[in-house]
Amino acid sequence: MTAEGRIARDRRRFADIVRGHIKKDLRQYVTGSELIGRKGRQLVSIPVPRIELPRLRHGKNGQGQGQGEGQPGGDGQASEGQGNAAAGGEPGQHLLEVELTLEEMAAILGEELELPNIQPRGNARMEVTSRRYTSVSRRGPRSLRHMRRTLKESLKRQISSGTYDPLDPRLVPTADDLRYRASKDVVRPDHAAMILYMMDVSGSMGREQKEIVRLVSFWIDTWLRSQYRSLETRYMVHDAAAKEVDHDTFYRLRESGGTKISSAYALAAELVEAQFPPEEWNVYLFHFSDGDNWSGRDTEKCLGLLRDQLLPSANMFCYGQVKSAYGSGQFMKDLSGALGDDPRVISCEILDRDGILPAIKTFLGKGL
Amino acid sequence: MAAPGQDLLDLQLAVEERARAAGLDVPEIVYEVVDHRQLNEIAAYGGFPVRYPHWRFGMEYDRLIKAHAYGLQRIYELVVNTRPVVAYLLRQNAPVEQKLVMAHVCGHADFFVHNAWFAHTDPNMMDVLASHGARIRALADEHGFEVVEDFIDRVLSIDNLVDPGAMARAAGRPGNAPPLERGASERDVMGHLLLHAPLDDWQHEVLAVLRDEAYYFLPQMLTKIMNEGWASFWHSRLMTSSLLRDAEVVDYADQHSGAMGGEGQMNPYKLGIELFRSIERAHGGELRPLFDARRIHNDLTFVDQVMDPDFCRRHHLGHTPEECAAAKDGLLEQLTNGGQPVIRLLGGGAGDDLELEHCWSGHELKLDHAEQTLRHLGAFWVRPVRLHTRLEGRAVLLTCHDGLVSREYGEMLDEPDARTSGAA
Repeated sequence: MTAEGRIARDRRRFADIVRGHIKKDLRQYVTGSELIGRKGRQLVSIPVPRIELPRLRHGKNGQGQGQGEGQPGGDGQASEGQGNAAAGGEPGQHLLEVELTLEEMAAILGEELELPNIQPRGNARMEVTSRRYTSVSRRGPRSLRHMRRTLKESLKRQISSGTYDPLDPRLVPTADDLRYRASKDVVRPDHAAMILYMMDVSGSMGREQKEIVRLVSFWIDTWLRSQYRSLETRYMVHDAAAKEVDHDTFYRLRESGGTKISSAYALAAELVEAQFPPEEWNVYLFHFSDGDNWSGRDTEKCLGLLRDQLLPSANMFCYGQVKSAYGSGQFMKDLSGALGDDPRVISCEILDRDGILPAIKTFLGKGL
Repeated sequence: MAAPGQDLLDLQLAVEERARAAGLDVPEIVYEVVDHRQLNEIAAYGGFPVRYPHWRFGMEYDRLIKAHAYGLQRIYELVVNTRPVVAYLLRQNAPVEQKLVMAHVCGHADFFVHNAWFAHTDPNMMDVLASHGARIRALADEHGFEVVEDFIDRVLSIDNLVDPGAMARAAGRPGNAPPLERGASERDVMGHLLLHAPLDDWQHEVLAVLRDEAYYFLPQMLTKIMNEGWASFWHSRLMTSSLLRDAEVVDYADQHSGAMGGEGQMNPYKLGIELFRSIERAHGGELRPLFDARRIHNDLTFVDQVMDPDFCRRHHLGHTPEECAAAKDGLLEQLTNGGQPVIRLLGGGAGDDLELEHCWSGHELKLDHAEQTLRHLGAFWVRPVRLHTRLEGRAVLLTCHDGLVSREYGEMLDEPDARTSGAA
């Protein structure tokens, strides 16, 4: 076997041990609120038992260590604060924190739910910019000073001005000699995607319903971000009227009023038409509500908007119906009845937090 | 991985010619040209891409590529103690960097050949490790991958329980570990388990293989400062006296200072090169005493002998005599037994309980690790395993019986005497 083959196998084994542990607790990570709000490249510390090999070694012990057997503890505690607490209180249990990026978490999620890789539609392209430190500049912060180039400049200057003495080759850089590493923006093409999350914030949607929506949206967001480099996320809330809001408002706002779902779909149609033409964008629409609409007439209007305006521009329309104490759940029945045969329409009922993983699988399982 | 091109071979010839003329004993060196990814792979295996399968190599590789990606760590050189010596060159290095690495490698190679603490290491280690790998793979096929992996995990948690003082006994024999015909020494817990623990044949074989590897890698831990110091002393001397071309001086100075800078007194490159230079200064530039030092010392004895108040003041480790003494004591403590606690066998023939003592040096054992390690020892030994140590100023006896660890506190002890027994 080649060295490459060996390291690939040992990495896989290591990854399996880590992943096995994470998968075991995936439900807790996905249905707990600790990871919400983190970005794709950010590292998440996951405590993994067993990976650190115990040894007789020197080390500090906390005062008054507990007696007895360590229980496998700290499972599923992904936040930094809680991870530390587990390390202090449980002798006999070795928790090595393995650092994963959210992207890697998303990959594990994808693997566990058997999500397909999403195929970008058409030739939709946009450009992404990344920063590379490949050039040299005369100005910059001290931390980016390029010592080698600076000394070379200094040497050139001293030789040309005749002050260089080979027997005492001392280089004293002046302000003019200083050189710094500088960044260049590198532009390359990429597929573009936009996700629009729409949420019913009418009086019947309670705190738990919003939290469930927040969790489903977060993991969908994380998964899609692992598939598309440039991802545009928009948020919209509605009761009897719809408005576009920012991320924070989306998750906090609580209105109370009637519900006209058509207001959201009309605004969505406007937004997509104005800013996200389907030739350039992969468009994903998500709508969460408790299924209570104002009237049958408004539902008719919704179905019309979907059929004529939204679906032709979208890769996918997902409707998640969160169970609430007051919702009738009628909207999902009407939606399935009218558009259930359209492969771009996916609907799913989410009863409680246990429904989050199945909902993600239902929504993203097709890879449209 | 590729053989070096003609330009690198010419460079190698020129560097080694200078090194030999300067008095280094350079054995045959084989260079391989690799990219970063390959170098990280080889480094993850401790220099040998032929070892037995284990997840920790994968974990180490992940750590190395992450450190590389975030710019935290970059491996420049990797040299392996075998005959011929094998060393790796990064493909993208500039010629002046390759020259620097080659001069540095000449220093390491001379050190491997002449330092007394390496005398027992098997010159055919590439083959030895390959055959270890093949044996363990075969055992895993026969007994189940996870069963063997679990056993290896347990052995790895005791592979620091070996005897640096017994290394010389293996010299001139195949393999690296001291022979066991006349029993294991009191520090050689791995050897003692091989002789007396009730193990299955395959477990015995795995333990023997890992003990042999532990003894091979041990001298590298005990001579880190000397080994890097010696290699740095020679690359600096060879480069600045003859190998550098004018146009390369600034680049070289940048790289050299990069390697010497950083984490203060415990950068082994910096500390080592300054200790050798201090001997050179003390003898008016004569090199013979340096060659003698590289032959007989390990880091502990080297620092003990060479670091004097003058050295401490010169390198700002301390200024008053008390500060100098404290800086030296602190360093010696870190270097004793490679920084590992000294563990000694008190008793335990076949059928007895196994009894171990932690020789007190002023530092407690990390308790959760100690208890888990004791459980692993208990799994090998089957009968109860005891470890005498200290916690919070009191004598403590840890006992592992049937996988459960209990703790008995004894009398309050006097203020710990930091330097008692068992220095390597």
